[in-house]
Amino acid sequence: MNRRPGGELATRPLHFIWIADCSGSMKTDGKIQSLNVAIREAIPHMQKVAAENPNAQVLVRAIKFSSGAQWHISQPTLVEDFKWVDLQADGVTDMGKALSMVAEQLKIPPMTDRALPPVLVLISDGQPTDSFEKGLSELMDQPWGTKAVRIAIAIGSDADHDVLQKFIGHVEIKPLQANNPESLVNYIKWVSTAVLKSASSPASQSAGAAPVSNVPVPAVPTAAPSSGGGPVTADDVW
Amino acid sequence: MSQAPEWRVTGASVRGAAHVRAALPNQDAILWWPDGQTGPPLILVVSDGHGSDKSFRSDVGSRLAVECAAALLRELLLIQPAAKHLSAIKRALEERLPLELVKDWRSAVDVDLAAAPFTEAELARVEQRRGPAGRQEVVENPRLAYGATLLAAVVAQEFIAYLQLGDGDILTIARDGAVMRPFAHDARLIANETTSLCMEHAAREVRIRFQAAYGEEPALILLATDGYANSFVNEEAFLKVGTDLLDILREDGATVVAGALPGWLEDASTAGSGDDISLGILFRGDIQVSADAPADDGAPEIADTSLLVESSRPSHKGATAAEPESTDEGAQRSRFVARIKQRGPTEPSKRGRLADLGLAEAGASDAGHAEGDEGA
Repeated sequence: MNRRPGGELATRPLHFIWIADCSGSMKTDGKIQSLNVAIREAIPHMQKVAAENPNAQVLVRAIKFSSGAQWHISQPTLVEDFKWVDLQADGVTDMGKALSMVAEQLKIPPMTDRALPPVLVLISDGQPTDSFEKGLSELMDQPWGTKAVRIAIAIGSDADHDVLQKFIGHVEIKPLQANNPESLVNYIKWVSTAVLKSASSPASQSAGAAPVSNVPVPAVPTAAPSSGGGPVTADDVW
Repeated sequence: MSQAPEWRVTGASVRGAAHVRAALPNQDAILWWPDGQTGPPLILVVSDGHGSDKSFRSDVGSRLAVECAAALLRELLLIQPAAKHLSAIKRALEERLPLELVKDWRSAVDVDLAAAPFTEAELARVEQRRGPAGRQEVVENPRLAYGATLLAAVVAQEFIAYLQLGDGDILTIARDGAVMRPFAHDARLIANETTSLCMEHAAREVRIRFQAAYGEEPALILLATDGYANSFVNEEAFLKVGTDLLDILREDGATVVAGALPGWLEDASTAGSGDDISLGILFRGDIQVSADAPADDGAPEIADTSLLVESSRPSHKGATAAEPESTDEGAQRSRFVARIKQRGPTEPSKRGRLADLGLAEAGASDAGHAEGDEGA
């Protein structure tokens, strides 16, 4: 018999969102160029991980914040079609506005409750200049905001770890400290592969199990310090 | 009194595409009773074992869940002649069944664990994936390793009852194809997080709905683990399963559906969620008649206890089932009846708890067949 009950079948969407600091300080010491390179280099790795799990539909987009915030790549784009467009740095650090705009996109709808937990990656080298708390509150008011895998990468020594830790929301997971282009590449690759792979593998769990995160966050690459910045080395340029 | 219409049951459980890739077992289980697949009475139970690293024995947990639930629901059917009033059955369902269910499942898990304690390899895998804290959590709460959800439906001559703990879907389909849910959507159940039998206060999370048999009965009842709904592009596409299955049953018959079911579910998992999928189907034997024909809903008759006593044990269609222990039916009956008798008519009912969960309102809007809760 040819007839199958039900409507259109579809894999489960997994939204991956880069939240990038494009404030003027990102111009210094080549930070913004390094970020562009790191994300561009990570894309093939993301595509490979996504291809290994045909039951997850990985959709990528990016939002940038400086003086205000705006979607840099606004459409959720299939990872196999995703192309990075270089960011430019200028202005202040309106991180809260970016979180508010992400919160809008995590509402149900446009999100669906059948989605896999989104992955939000916040990258910043400084301190918010607007109401970060308001933006975070709006994000965490959304069910998908609280269930999202939230990773933060601090670029250089001026990044505000307290703010990034609040964004993560789990004391067990620390902001990743990138003090040079190599460590930034490592972290971007890690979040694009290991974290993406973990988030894209559906595994139900008891609500009473009090998980650190809905998605097990894999071990951070050992080639770079895992939290709070390690000893300063000659390679540290930020 | 008119004879209640014949109902039938079928179903299937398939290993998910992602589980095949990861060399994981099917962690779902499905069970129905009686073997003859016709009733009433009929019992259908489906369970979804958690796939998380900490729930590494959830295939066993789901099997124990369907076995415990089916056994308890059979007990419930046994109290009918003694209870005389549907209100007593309803009260037993709402007030006793959740507690007994969780207690029995915990006992069954404890027996399994005593017979096969966690191996170092099992705990090491948890630690590797979830760290020392994850390992410690399982050691302190070993039932977490067996975590599972539960969906159940009972079709008796006098009533239909639904039970849900955790994610998954129960759909009822009217003769005209209208699809409804006996339970309102639980907004907490997203991101693969679910209420579960392994939770400390699991009994509080059990949702029960009781429908006396003199209202408009559904023509078809579907119980599905969440891997099925998650395989469709949206809610509308999933709900279409209900109307389509009704049409297919009418046009091609139950044998064709039963034969095609595993293939349908495998296709859905492959093109959809990748998760294990179990689908149980209860349907009226007379659904081939015109949708315009009135339902055969006479006054309910009291079930013949001998039917229940003599019927075979539940049929297990999921993971390999252990032979359930023989049960003392007199003791079973007394477990419910004695406790009902202990409770006076002024005992607070579960209505308050259901209202607290927002189910009372949801029931009013979501379930058109739920009016007339209690028989006289």
